[in-house]
Amino acid sequence: MMPVIEARNISKNFGRFQALRNVSFSAAPGEVHALCGENGAGKSTLVKILTGVLQPDDGQTLIGGEVHGIADTQHAQALKIGYVSQELSIAPHLSVLDNVWLGCRGVPLLHRRNELRERARRALNLVGLAHLSLERRAGTLALGEQQLVEIARMMVRDVAVLFLDEPTATLSDREIECVFSAIRELRRNGKTMIYISHRLGEVMDLCDRVTILRNGENVISTDVADISRGKLVEHMLGRSLSEMYPQAGGMSSVGALEIRGLMVPGKIRGLDFAVPRGKILCLAGQMGSGATEAVRALAGLVHDATGSVVLDGMPLKLGSVHTLLERNMRFVSEDRAGEGLFLNLSVEENFAATQFDVVRRFGLLLPAPVRELAERLADIVTVNPDRLRSRCGDLSGGNQQKIAIGRCITPGSGILLMNEPTRGVDVGARAEIYALMRQLCDQGYAVVMTSTDLEEVVGLADMVLTMYRGARVSLYGRDEISASRILLDITHPLTYENAA
Amino acid sequence: MSPKYFWVERLMAFRPRLWISTHGALLPLGLALLLLTAMFTPGFLSAPNLLSLVNTASVIGCVAVAMMLITISGNVLSFALGVTTGCSAMMFAWLTGYESGLLATVGALVFSTVVTGFQGLLIGLFRANPIIVSIAALGLMTGAAELISQGSMIYASGSQLQGLNDTFWSVPASGWVLLALVLLADFILRFTRFGRNIVMLGSNMTAAKAAGISLWRTTVGVYALAGLFSGIAGILLAARYNAGSLEYGIGYDYSAIAAVLVGGTFIGGGEGTALRTLAGLVVITGAGAILLLHGVSTEYQFLFTGLVLLVAVLVQGR
Repeated sequence: MMPVIEARNISKNFGRFQALRNVSFSAAPGEVHALCGENGAGKSTLVKILTGVLQPDDGQTLIGGEVHGIADTQHAQALKIGYVSQELSIAPHLSVLDNVWLGCRGVPLLHRRNELRERARRALNLVGLAHLSLERRAGTLALGEQQLVEIARMMVRDVAVLFLDEPTATLSDREIECVFSAIRELRRNGKTMIYISHRLGEVMDLCDRVTILRNGENVISTDVADISRGKLVEHMLGRSLSEMYPQAGGMSSVGALEIRGLMVPGKIRGLDFAVPRGKILCLAGQMGSGATEAVRALAGLVHDATGSVVLDGMPLKLGSVHTLLERNMRFVSEDRAGEGLFLNLSVEENFAATQFDVVRRFGLLLPAPVRELAERLADIVTVNPDRLRSRCGDLSGGNQQKIAIGRCITPGSGILLMNEPTRGVDVGARAEIYALMRQLCDQGYAVVMTSTDLEEVVGLADMVLTMYRGARVSLYGRDEISASRILLDITHPLTYENAA
Repeated sequence: MSPKYFWVERLMAFRPRLWISTHGALLPLGLALLLLTAMFTPGFLSAPNLLSLVNTASVIGCVAVAMMLITISGNVLSFALGVTTGCSAMMFAWLTGYESGLLATVGALVFSTVVTGFQGLLIGLFRANPIIVSIAALGLMTGAAELISQGSMIYASGSQLQGLNDTFWSVPASGWVLLALVLLADFILRFTRFGRNIVMLGSNMTAAKAAGISLWRTTVGVYALAGLFSGIAGILLAARYNAGSLEYGIGYDYSAIAAVLVGGTFIGGGEGTALRTLAGLVVITGAGAILLLHGVSTEYQFLFTGLVLLVAVLVQGR
């Protein structure tokens, strides 16, 4: 059958980072096609190219069998390509009806309201929201219903191809079931859906075909019926787990970071934990669990956070980045471009950014000491010293992350706070970063990190604290950590009622 | 292919090849063009012409270096630097009435530093939009100065100013002052912690905050420094005309922005040096002088500068 949408030999670079290398993809009419891969495999880049957000550096996009560029998102809409993003884009103060028609380019200035209502009604029926009043304010709907309204929005636009980016990431079980039945109904109506998800169970249940990407390259494209779940994991990872993660050392728990009653209004409702030196504590939780916020609060970047923090027996003031720097508590952001690094400055400068006091001579920043510091740090984190003068933004994601970590290495050991330490980092650099984190721990650092990559949590952490909607579910020591228990905690927290 | 998007797709395909990839290319191009035309312009390389050129350019140059500091710090530009220059000239002329050159100088510089530093406080502490703050300051200062001076010019008394009009090694003192400011600005930007903080703030404000740089202190500092430089420009003006007037500063921010942009300072912040701004200044004022020598009227010079600004900012487009 002729594919409705196809990508041929697509390549895309960001600076020196190759996000996609010669990737091909095609989806036939009426199929639900899963697009799988680890974080940073290139899924979202491919989706952005096929929905007109990005332009490929090389390769072709084909619509209905013809070579056809996709200029921008408006153009994609004209080509009957729809996209529902992971983050909901509902206008909470508008009615369901307005939300369904929001951003549709087919509505004339002088339109017949009744006709719009009728078509919105039909779209909502299609996605299983027949009971919903068109006048209801969208902000009052449950998350799952909002997700379905977004899908209905694509239906009134009469899309033929619909991209769904982790549609179930923030939903409860029952809501997930509603989204699934909506997807099945749409399949019966001949729509093509591209389903992006980390959840392999959903892929096996729901999808007809699956394409797996790894490090920006095609791995395999096959019928779901022809592949086992284990094989799927193997293709996604491309390695065995034991090689990836270094062995934990036996550092005794000297000194510790203790957190009591950490609260962030609307995000975290009282969180207690302690990390001994030499250990990696991972806060595991999905979007909206408060894990990321907790680390940001410790880094002094959440102004309304309250709670007591004790470091090495001395209390620490929350909310002052400066005090944290003095106490050697450093933060590595998950958003390297936005918050972590100065991409248009040199690598050298980025290394020195938080340690100017160390390299000052006579009150001045002379080139030699700065360079010396940068060379020393580059050596520790294995960044090629020839690149110290390069623009930081020209380095790969992995190297950038190493720089962000290197910046935190101070003469005395400290605390490392990290959100998603390997987001957008290729596999090779990933293993190096894990080794580096372990090495720092062996020198007496304590690490508090978050990750949504379950393999990473299981492989790397010494302790895992699972979180659900702003509260702790449970805490696991090294021997108790298992992927299935963590997954259960962060998605279906049975103990949630007891914990809250 | 839908006809509506035909040209969009064509344009997209051509854009990377058409675009000049680095905005740094503008500066050498401008300097080369300037040199070429200067050689074929009679009178350009004569001593009196060059002398008056240096005199004009040095005042604009001081404002341009001030503007560049603000641009590098990520606050785009200020519309208030020209009027600050004019007001400092008035302040200086007025204070010379007390027969003390030192008092006049210190008074004018403290005035410009405090007034501009206060704008920095509003921007850094309350996150006020820098452009709107500068427009408000422009209005406030113009109004206040007109009220106090009753719209008249203030004449300087005393002979303390004479030294500023002398030439040393055949370059006017104002030229040396500009050179000193350029070197000082580049020194601060490169070799001091404060300067690096300015660059980092302009490069990525969120990252600067996460790295523990005090936003408000750095912003106040950079604005105060810009104010100081504008004040120096005002003193140079007052010394040249032996008087101070609000009119003196008019149009200086315009030329200063042109010099900053032609000098390759990234308008988004985080990139730029004073030496390059100086080169941009040479291109802008040199081109103006050549046009003048060819008998082109001021209106056309404005048109020319506008065009140069447009090209400079388009080349920076990403």
